[in-house]
Amino acid sequence: MDNPAELEWSLVLLYLCKKAGSRRGLRASLPAWTLLLFFLSFATAQAFPQSSDEKPVSILTGTAGYFNFITAGQNQIDEQVNPVLLVPLGDRWLVESRMECEGAFQRPPGGGPYGGQVSKNLDYAQADYIANPYVTVTMGRFLTPFGIFNERLYPIWIRSLQQDPLILPLSAESSDGMMLRGGFPASAKTNLTYAVYASAVSTDHNNLQSDRNVGGRVSIFFPGTRVELGASFQRLLQDSRTNAFGFHFAWLSTRLPLNVHSEYARSNEGSGYWVDGAYRLSQLHFWQKAMRRTELAGRAEQFFMGSAGWEVAQLWGLPAANTREGEFGVNYYLRDGLKAVASYGRQFSPAGNLNLWTVGIAYRFLIPLGRSGAQ
Amino acid sequence: MSGGAMKTRIAILFCALALGALARSSLAYAEGPSARKDAVSSPVVHNSDADAMRVQGELRYRANCGRCHAAPRKFPPRMMATVLRHMRVRATITDEDMRLVLFYMTQ
Repeated sequence: MDNPAELEWSLVLLYLCKKAGSRRGLRASLPAWTLLLFFLSFATAQAFPQSSDEKPVSILTGTAGYFNFITAGQNQIDEQVNPVLLVPLGDRWLVESRMECEGAFQRPPGGGPYGGQVSKNLDYAQADYIANPYVTVTMGRFLTPFGIFNERLYPIWIRSLQQDPLILPLSAESSDGMMLRGGFPASAKTNLTYAVYASAVSTDHNNLQSDRNVGGRVSIFFPGTRVELGASFQRLLQDSRTNAFGFHFAWLSTRLPLNVHSEYARSNEGSGYWVDGAYRLSQLHFWQKAMRRTELAGRAEQFFMGSAGWEVAQLWGLPAANTREGEFGVNYYLRDGLKAVASYGRQFSPAGNLNLWTVGIAYRFLIPLGRSGAQ
Repeated sequence: MSGGAMKTRIAILFCALALGALARSSLAYAEGPSARKDAVSSPVVHNSDADAMRVQGELRYRANCGRCHAAPRKFPPRMMATVLRHMRVRATITDEDMRLVLFYMTQ
């Protein structure tokens, strides 16, 4: 350990893990979490200085996409625009929100013109307050920090394959409440990150629904090997009062243009995993101009029914039977933020095997809402 | 007083203390960088320091940004500052990593 503060960190975290694992559970560990907050707040003596000379400017960013999802021969045209607004206030505030506007259109059985609905969802609308280098306080509607897909890999220009993983609905996608999160170096070779949150039930408005739950995620990142390991937990404080937990893994190779992500999740509604990898062909020695823009992607995943039964699973947007799926795709980066995608997948299930084809284009836009400081 | 009510009161007391401590630390953090001089944001940066920071910034840029998405190109400085603040929250990038990546992406 490089300094005594790191030892204190380790001791506090060790104590917390022990407490969280005890039978008395969350209420018993509350004073321990409070102790951690105390430590965090007094640790600012060794804080890094704040902002650089550049004053941040508000930004309108987001993604737009057009896809054809052909599932078992049935084509669905999917058009979406997902604007993200980022408004920095002062040195330590950020107000951010993302809306998802998605139209899904299909021909009716027996033929006819394409028809369907346009859905609008507020994914997050949150105020972030960077209290100190170790704690950011988030209030409002935020993406639930469970695993890595929902928070980090969900946008269409980021994900390497456009189909959602089968286990994505196992945890709440958005929560309304408060969250504490942050990341800090635990030693010269490791970073620790955490997020803890409490969400209130919200049923008044279709676009702002959330459950009453508490949870958190902790992960460790090794910058040298670029490996990240983490675990997530969520407890529902209403209805069935069930628990969900999960683990995630991410690896970005230092030698190859390859990254790998994986998640496992388990709850009353089911369990499962996915592993995906994306390999950029930039190391190939032929057709280099095209190859360095080309990425191969693959995913293997499996879902197992839970004790809640198939009706509940379907209600949550999960498969209604044990399901296995494999998918392979190609992404071609036409320019920064613009990629064409194509993939093929095969799903195996007692309810029937089927093919999944995807063809489309994803675009990320970024517009400054003020002087951007460009030279 | 029942055991449950007592526990609830203790929990509320702890939370209030924690919020107070958080507010105190925030004020200390807001007082300015004078007490927390560090090479990362020092306005006077020598060439060798700047080179070292750029190298560190690039390393951390590749390690952090590339973990989730294709590394983006550089944007104008004020946009980059906003993007980095967003990513600090979204990807829980450490404070030090954020500053070094911002330095690399804007210098």
